[in-house]
Amino acid sequence: MQQIFKILWPDRKGFPAVLMFILLLGFSGYGQEITVSGTVTGAMDGIPFPGVNVIQKGTSNGVVTNMDGEFSIQVSPEAVLVFSYVGFKEQEVQVNGRNQIDVQLAEDLESLDDVIVVGYGTQKKATLTGSVSNIKGEDLMKSQAVNVSTSLAGRLPGLSVNQRSGAPGNEALDITIRGVGTFGDNNPLIIIDGVPREGVLERLNPADIESISVLKDGSAAIYGARAANGVILVTTKKGTPGETKFSLSYNYGITNPTKLPDMMDAALFAEVYNEAEFYRQGRPETGFEPFYSQEAIERYRDGSDPILYANTNWPAVALRDNTPQQRLNFQASGGSEKITYLLSYAGLKQEGNFINQPDNYKQHNIRVNVQAALTDDLTVGANISGIFQDRENSTGADFVSTLQANPTLVAVYPNGLIAPGRFNNNPLLSNRTGLNTTSNIPINSTFTASYEVPFLKGLALDASFNYDLRNQFQKNFSQPYEFHQYNVQTEEYDLRRTEDPVQLTNIYFKETSVLTNFRISYKTLIAYDHSIDAMLGTEQQKRAFSSASAYRRNFVSPAIRQIDAGSTDPDDKNNSGTAWENAYNNFFGRVNYNFKSKYLLEFVFRYDGSPIFPEGNRYGFFPGVSAGWRISKENFMADVSWVDELKLRASYGEMGNDRVSPYQFMQTFQFGNNYVFGGSDAPGIYSSTLPNANITWEVSKKFDVGLFAELWDGLFSADFTVFKEKRSNLLLQRSLSVSHLFGFPALPSENIGEVENSGFELQLSHQHSVGDFNYAVGGNVAYAKSNIIFMDEVPPAEPYQTQTGRPIGSGLYYKSDGIFNTQEELDNYPHGQGAQVGDIKVLDLNNDGQINGDDRYRANNSAIPEYVFGLSTDFSYKGFDLALFFQGQTNAYINDGTLNEFGLQDQDNATVFRATNRWTVDNQLGATMPRANDWQPGTTDFFLYDATFVRLKNLEIGYTLPANLLSGTGILEDIRIYANGTNLYTWAKEITYMDPEMVPSGDSGGTFTNYPPLRVLSVGAHINF
Amino acid sequence: MKKIEKKISKLLIVMSVLLGVSCEQDILEIEPQDRIVENAVWNDANLIRAYHTELFNGIPHGFSINLIGKYTDEMYNSTPCCGANLFALNTYNPDNIAQVGGGTNLNDFWAIGNGYMYNWDHAYIYIRKINLFLEKMEETDINLPDKDLWIAEAKFIRAYVYFNLIERFGGVPIVDEVYDLGDEVVFKRNTFEEVVAFIEQNLGEAKAVLPVKYGSTDRDYGRPTGDAAQALLSRVYLYAASPLFNSGNDQQKWQKAADAAEALINNGDYSLYPDYNGLFQLSQGDPQNETIFSRGFTSTNGQNFPMDYLNRRFGAYGGWWGSGGPSGNLVNDYEMLNGELPFLENGQVNPASGYDPQSAFENRDPRFNATIIHDGSIFRGIEFEMWISEDGAQWGYDSYKETGDNPRPNTVIKKFVPEEGTINWETPSTVQWIHFRLAEIYLNYAEAKFELGDEATAREYLNKVRSRQSVDMPDIPETVSGEELRQRIYNERRIELAFEGHRFFDVRRWEIADEVEEAPITTIDIYKDMSTGDKRYVEVILLDRSGTFQEHQSLFPIAQDEIQRNPELTQTPGY
Repeated sequence: MQQIFKILWPDRKGFPAVLMFILLLGFSGYGQEITVSGTVTGAMDGIPFPGVNVIQKGTSNGVVTNMDGEFSIQVSPEAVLVFSYVGFKEQEVQVNGRNQIDVQLAEDLESLDDVIVVGYGTQKKATLTGSVSNIKGEDLMKSQAVNVSTSLAGRLPGLSVNQRSGAPGNEALDITIRGVGTFGDNNPLIIIDGVPREGVLERLNPADIESISVLKDGSAAIYGARAANGVILVTTKKGTPGETKFSLSYNYGITNPTKLPDMMDAALFAEVYNEAEFYRQGRPETGFEPFYSQEAIERYRDGSDPILYANTNWPAVALRDNTPQQRLNFQASGGSEKITYLLSYAGLKQEGNFINQPDNYKQHNIRVNVQAALTDDLTVGANISGIFQDRENSTGADFVSTLQANPTLVAVYPNGLIAPGRFNNNPLLSNRTGLNTTSNIPINSTFTASYEVPFLKGLALDASFNYDLRNQFQKNFSQPYEFHQYNVQTEEYDLRRTEDPVQLTNIYFKETSVLTNFRISYKTLIAYDHSIDAMLGTEQQKRAFSSASAYRRNFVSPAIRQIDAGSTDPDDKNNSGTAWENAYNNFFGRVNYNFKSKYLLEFVFRYDGSPIFPEGNRYGFFPGVSAGWRISKENFMADVSWVDELKLRASYGEMGNDRVSPYQFMQTFQFGNNYVFGGSDAPGIYSSTLPNANITWEVSKKFDVGLFAELWDGLFSADFTVFKEKRSNLLLQRSLSVSHLFGFPALPSENIGEVENSGFELQLSHQHSVGDFNYAVGGNVAYAKSNIIFMDEVPPAEPYQTQTGRPIGSGLYYKSDGIFNTQEELDNYPHGQGAQVGDIKVLDLNNDGQINGDDRYRANNSAIPEYVFGLSTDFSYKGFDLALFFQGQTNAYINDGTLNEFGLQDQDNATVFRATNRWTVDNQLGATMPRANDWQPGTTDFFLYDATFVRLKNLEIGYTLPANLLSGTGILEDIRIYANGTNLYTWAKEITYMDPEMVPSGDSGGTFTNYPPLRVLSVGAHINF
Repeated sequence: MKKIEKKISKLLIVMSVLLGVSCEQDILEIEPQDRIVENAVWNDANLIRAYHTELFNGIPHGFSINLIGKYTDEMYNSTPCCGANLFALNTYNPDNIAQVGGGTNLNDFWAIGNGYMYNWDHAYIYIRKINLFLEKMEETDINLPDKDLWIAEAKFIRAYVYFNLIERFGGVPIVDEVYDLGDEVVFKRNTFEEVVAFIEQNLGEAKAVLPVKYGSTDRDYGRPTGDAAQALLSRVYLYAASPLFNSGNDQQKWQKAADAAEALINNGDYSLYPDYNGLFQLSQGDPQNETIFSRGFTSTNGQNFPMDYLNRRFGAYGGWWGSGGPSGNLVNDYEMLNGELPFLENGQVNPASGYDPQSAFENRDPRFNATIIHDGSIFRGIEFEMWISEDGAQWGYDSYKETGDNPRPNTVIKKFVPEEGTINWETPSTVQWIHFRLAEIYLNYAEAKFELGDEATAREYLNKVRSRQSVDMPDIPETVSGEELRQRIYNERRIELAFEGHRFFDVRRWEIADEVEEAPITTIDIYKDMSTGDKRYVEVILLDRSGTFQEHQSLFPIAQDEIQRNPELTQTPGY
């Protein structure tokens, strides 16, 4: 208990505030006129119902039914009485002066609003004990980002989504739940309609999504060995009984990169290059001949000679201004009491952001979900979806060859001919170099049967069979291409052609997954007070993958782009292939118990088996327990009418992480590393790691305490959770302490690491209506920070270098302190061999008079944000609605290694950000950036930037046509038109030269040359009929 | 009621069938699909052969994307990619040395990880692989007809790997057994002499079994031979006798070096390949009789040297990925056809040479044109143009002004690039990497003989190298002797073996790195008067290296974290 308090109030300062809060709940008081009495019975069995809350609506005046289900209350004759009991439908009854009112309470058939999807089932929000965040599909629809996962950023407290690239159909995302807890794979488990399905969430049709839940704590233990990183549960829509409803929506948008770095123009580039040359040549006092003469620089500047002295703004030349994107969505759903159905189609067409780049992404989503009650007790269902993805692109144009292209190179000659550009890689040539096409078709199917055993009410059997198939076919075709090059001697434009052969690679792969599961569940309510809900299940999954690829080159002609058309010479052909298999076998279960819906208990477990571990370590048991106390249900709270709900909950669970490469327990060999004898290839085999016979799961123990409050009839709600996670058995290579002299190839992972991870989540929401004006504000903030307890570190030279005790992903940096502005400064301070005036001043941390590796310190943060937050606001007035959504992060630090590549011999362009106020011979004292071609002893923290940002992620304005306008049509139900902006505006603290999100995680450093995330401006209409 | 029961029994049947079909008891019994389990390897002769074949990768070849020549005065390193600047400016130290070739991945395109510079990790991995192989061969019951040969070859490789270590680090720990994870071992450096003795022993045992020689068209050519073992011994002894490792100038060491070379010269059946240029375009299997040991390539297991080092004209990235061209320093060290060096030691033009800085590329040792493409060179029928007009507004297509793909020094390496056949990224080159050839043995011999005071023999073997049919340089006159002759021996080695991976280590073992590594990297810029067509040659400094080399950098440091893992392992002195 002490532990809980420590977590809740680490500094104990918050404690009095909580006491105050509880005391405040004691207000009440009202008058009365008549006495109403009656009996409450159960609708199902007609037995008297004790413990039902009977409250005069809008007041705190209330009583509870006695053991015989009877009540008596003093109210005004016009009052409305509210009868409520958790798990039963609330009833409101007008008194109308009556003295006797009898009521039958019916069991609450779970309405979607109050139900949250959890592992292998659903739970009522009110009695939920786990830490689960949840979002509805309609909220996701507010984003016009093509990738569904990016729409989750900031929406679910504790879930962090960073988009590292915006390449159409190929966005790179980092998704973590509650920060990171392992050195290895931190990706959460993604379950779609009950089945672990990878790579599908991003491509789902948002209109098909009913809800997304995120299991963050011990409640995820039901997913056992794969749950340590948290679980994302996606549920797709079903039809509802009733007349067929059609909905049709269309959206047209234009995309542009959120932020492109300002690159140097030709004149600035030339000046910087000259400076760097000067330093490279040892700053000669005389006879220095600059690479670019002063005259040349002038010509670059004045643009008088666009052929020999070009000033090319490559991004402007290579990128389209507004790239179109279109989405169409059609859905039909409905059904009878026996059969419901949902048919859905979505089409997406996204074009690439480069001119002359055949970069297209097309996606078609189809889904059929049919549920049929074959008998009164037996329901079967089929939910089948297919995602047809077609991506086309050439290898030519990317942001590296665009942003880093030398601005003194011509892109297009004044006569319209296209120049070679950097390394013949002019992005404008990319429609001539060949074409890569990828067709990826994941088909997911789920067949379910559920049988309610008629002779024992509450007993049910559920089974599901799931077959997933993914076929991908990729064709990489490249060919020689032509461009023109101005010949300075002849003053002609020579036609040049690259030397590459025509070549084609076809890659085909197939991945299947078969998952079956059976569940038996029993649900009962004993004496209205003891609710028991138990479930036991077993599941098996088998996955298989195989691939084959074929290659040929030297095609007679590029006209036929099939393997057969390639040369038949053995030297011109190649092929390869591989395969893997994997399986899971497990048992799982859950027991929920609650007393009067007031005291809640839950136990979940999974007994999980996986073949990637040795036989003795193959199975693991993962339990989770949680408890809740609905304080608002206590009698002493009965008078506190403004508290709708107050719940304290706590959970503990153990989970595993098995995302490591398989078979590490066996010594295995691979083919490869061939050698040559007598001019012939001789096959080789090699082993890449040593075996670890004892390898097993990483174990995560999660402890979680939360408080949920809903006040003033839903006007205000708050959810606060603190958590602590301890990860042990973390798989790490002992390479840090094992000498290379042993000659081990890569060491196996061993279960040696230990990491703690703790933090909190706070979610607040407020909604209100004033006349026709409605508004809702919701905010969430989550904090998570890891702390390495043990990782087999080599004892570092200095204590400030230890990684132990610091978060995962923290890097080693030399500490910079501005730059050596003057020679005097340089001479008077220790510096590394190679440092010159104008370089970054590195602090001699250990004061030994020299700069070496011992002067590096370990940062106390990493690229993984510690705080992520989101704020959504929704307004509506009559037919108008407006939604704004902000999202951001702080306490993340990014080291952008590419930013400092400046003035180097490779003639890559650099940013204006880097060039501004750099040290030069003429700008010494006030310089804030190091010189061109600067020297550093290693990675310094000079370019380690605070990646804090706040982004206006979505803004949507909509108008719903008045119903009376449409009623005349007789067909249309409603029409809404809207305008939407996604990734509209970003405020960044330090990373202002590029999109602050666009960096790889970990300490590998960042780069501004990735495909930036896209801003989407769109308009659309949604019609229901 | 009956109807319901019927339904239930139907359902139960369906469910039990489903359960029976889908619940496999042994679902977790999965054999790996894409790899071989160890037991299978040691019980299958073909897999043992494949294991043994892979051991040869313990000897890195030189066609890395970063030629070792970039790290010394042979080349200007125009892109400080991949840690190359550490060597270009001699800023390597225990903290950063492992950045360059410190890893163990043979297929690392950027060559950061393939062990070619900081060879430590790579070498000891292969030492363990070899030791494991030797242990398994003692245990095995399988009938392996080539077992003794394989063992001998493995010992040869082990000797070579240790040589690669000592030329970099001096004395290193000798590891000759297989350790497993968890074994407690205290590693200490053995002395340089102990390692030499270990190499000697391995080579002796190998030589006893290996065939003396494979013809260059033999299908086994490329495997170690008795001659290859002797050639390695010659190089090992030469290093051992050199000033860096022989501070007392022990003449016996020079004698061993001379004897080892002499034995190969006298007993070996080799001859200089007449065409110096053509020698470096040969693939394994081509007829020739100079190469003693080489690494071959095929079209599927090839190297990318031409694309890494040629220039834009061939769609190659010589100025960027290869990131360098031959330096002016090297160009200046080619003799004139008359056998005189163009420059005197004080840097002035040698009047006797007839060298004219304004026609810098004319009348040079034929090996110059065979090794380096320069302004005016004709290669593959194309005249290279590396000039810039006097006003700077125009330039030749191969000029560095045209593109970053053209190496800055206005020079491109010609050595190792085939004169004929397709060159593009998709067609790997099959030109072999020569580990040992007769000319090196001659030069080893000449150097050792010189240091033993036998100047006549030294001159004789120097002259043999110089009189190769296509080279035919005048003999070193008898008037050249003493220190002057030593410098000629050094320079002959520099020229004959340019870019073959020797220079970096030669200047260190000769202890002349303090001069060579401090000298600025230069080149010759060519300015063309567009009206007359006259060209003007200007020598420019590309990289100032003064004050960069420290004496202890003649040997590599051991990476700092490796020192910390091994409390008994001493750091290379000076670091």
